[in-house]
Amino acid sequence: MQKGYFGKFGGQFVPETLMKALFELESRYKKFSKDPNQQKLFQQQLRDFVGRPTALYFAENLTKFCGGAKIYLKREDLAHTGAHKINNALGQALLAKFMGKTRVIAETGAGQHGVATAVAAAKLGLKCVIFMGEVDMARQQPNVLRMRLLGATVTPVSSGSKTLKDAINEAIRDWIANIKSTHYLMGSVLGPHPYPTMVRDFQKVIGREARTQILNREGKLPDYLIACVGGGSNSIGLFYNFLKDKNIKMIGVEAGGLGIKSGKHAARFEGGRVGILHGTKSFVLQDKYGQILETHSVSAGLDYPSIGPEHANLENLKRVNYTYATDAEALYGFKLLSEREGIIPALESAHAVAIAVKLAKTLNKNQIIIVNLSGRGDKDLETVSKLL
Amino acid sequence: MTTNRIVEKFKDFRKQKAPAFMPFIVANDPNFKTSLQIAQRISQHGDFLEIGFPYSDPLADGPTIQAADVRALKNGATTDSVLLMIKALRKTVAIPITVLVYANLVLQAGIDEFYKRAADSGIDGVLIPDAPIEEIADFAVAANKYGIKQIFLVAQTTDNPRLKKILKHAQGFLYLVSVLGVTGARQKFGNETQEFIRRVRKQTKLPLCVGFGVSTPEQCKAMIKAGADGVIVGSAIVDIIAKNLGKKDMLDKVSDFAKQFEN
Repeated sequence: MQKGYFGKFGGQFVPETLMKALFELESRYKKFSKDPNQQKLFQQQLRDFVGRPTALYFAENLTKFCGGAKIYLKREDLAHTGAHKINNALGQALLAKFMGKTRVIAETGAGQHGVATAVAAAKLGLKCVIFMGEVDMARQQPNVLRMRLLGATVTPVSSGSKTLKDAINEAIRDWIANIKSTHYLMGSVLGPHPYPTMVRDFQKVIGREARTQILNREGKLPDYLIACVGGGSNSIGLFYNFLKDKNIKMIGVEAGGLGIKSGKHAARFEGGRVGILHGTKSFVLQDKYGQILETHSVSAGLDYPSIGPEHANLENLKRVNYTYATDAEALYGFKLLSEREGIIPALESAHAVAIAVKLAKTLNKNQIIIVNLSGRGDKDLETVSKLL
Repeated sequence: MTTNRIVEKFKDFRKQKAPAFMPFIVANDPNFKTSLQIAQRISQHGDFLEIGFPYSDPLADGPTIQAADVRALKNGATTDSVLLMIKALRKTVAIPITVLVYANLVLQAGIDEFYKRAADSGIDGVLIPDAPIEEIADFAVAANKYGIKQIFLVAQTTDNPRLKKILKHAQGFLYLVSVLGVTGARQKFGNETQEFIRRVRKQTKLPLCVGFGVSTPEQCKAMIKAGADGVIVGSAIVDIIAKNLGKKDMLDKVSDFAKQFEN
């Protein structure tokens, strides 16, 4: 297989100015991941600062409500900053320090990755600039305030659709101009090699923990894993350590928005084709000429026209089944989990909850579903209050 | 192998020891008709011409070119209309034409099909700013098949061992990215730009054109002095278009600006 590719997906489609930085990142990351001191420090911080391992929680009420399979929630919402994003942000921020960089930049959609990056930067004494689309800033106001409080500069992005896609464009432009001092702390399994591999490695702790936890609790492995997929970091984080267990079925849930027929969605496997965006070849929502389409989702974190290249490969290999939940279904999942379990999920994670509820009803009581509850929903209260 | 206008023209320029001026515009900015007229007018002052395909996500470009892309796309620009414009331009313009096109547009047109149509439209060189040598194989095969020169970027961050690898692929001319940054007019350049040109000059006889931010004749002279064969002026021209949208004398203003760079 060609370097940096997952099957026929991936690669390094970036301007020449960035190539040296990508090579440097790849080689320093290799050193970092083999350096016992760095790894010890990282593991310590995951435990003491992030609060890992996060709980694997048996959602008894939800299970009863569905009357089928047992539903477990991997509680990434309980990690510091309220989402799984901190696993990767902390890892890359430590790596940035290890590389001698003084400044980190990041894109953010829902604001969870921006907050996680701002937290890691504050903790490690790095300068931090977060790029965020104006539309997303408006719908995730609490996270904007959080990032600013943490000492980060939040730069509004007003080009294009003013969402995550455009924030990534701006972050890449900034990186090109400040390549010597700056590490681009990408938040998902997207972008040019080595990002999709590196970010997955920082997130696979989710599945590693879940595996041990479910074996301790149930004495067997789960039947299904379900997670929402924007770029795809929380889902690959959960899936990765189970990929070799052929009996375990995996479902990635994309944002169905207002429905596939409406055209207002972010379901790349429904309406997309193979294309190139932000340095990687994967499934992309685009017009017939290759102009990238604007997407829609009630959740900012899933509102993105491409998907991580490793997911494209897993779809191609039929190892993971990708489906979608609409805005309305996600809101239902949001409300249901809040009322039944006393857990307010992020709107992104609510997509996975919605599909899990549908599926659980069709399974028997001996079967087990693990849902990745990738984040908490406090950030979404304003959006939801307008819709419910 | 058929002759290529880029190669022939640089041979002439080397003989005459003349610096080459390569203006850049975004195709169909602000619309098909005006853009064609602009291209015709600046071709009277340029030795080469570079034309950008408008793209929704131009990550190597600064705000000026991005805005031009948006104008063109709003007015219906597509891969088809850009190729049509260049074909129309070819009826009256004989200078070499290079296009700058992001990888996804080529991929969606079909790589072979794109180069075939490009050659048919009179395009001499293709530069894909987001396809470094690692990703160029399929594009280069098609370029070669249709007699088009595949143009490569070289940046200040490109060290000499990597430059040698790029030179194995490079054809026509090398596009030197003058600064660490995206496109957009610059007030001034640091010494590192000239040092960069001198460094690359030592490694190759291939013509060197410097772009990204070059906006005045004085800057051009400095680049030429450092060893460049030519300069590419883009954002400064596009900026004049942007500031004179809908005005009758836009063509004259663009033309007057380009004239300053003539030999």
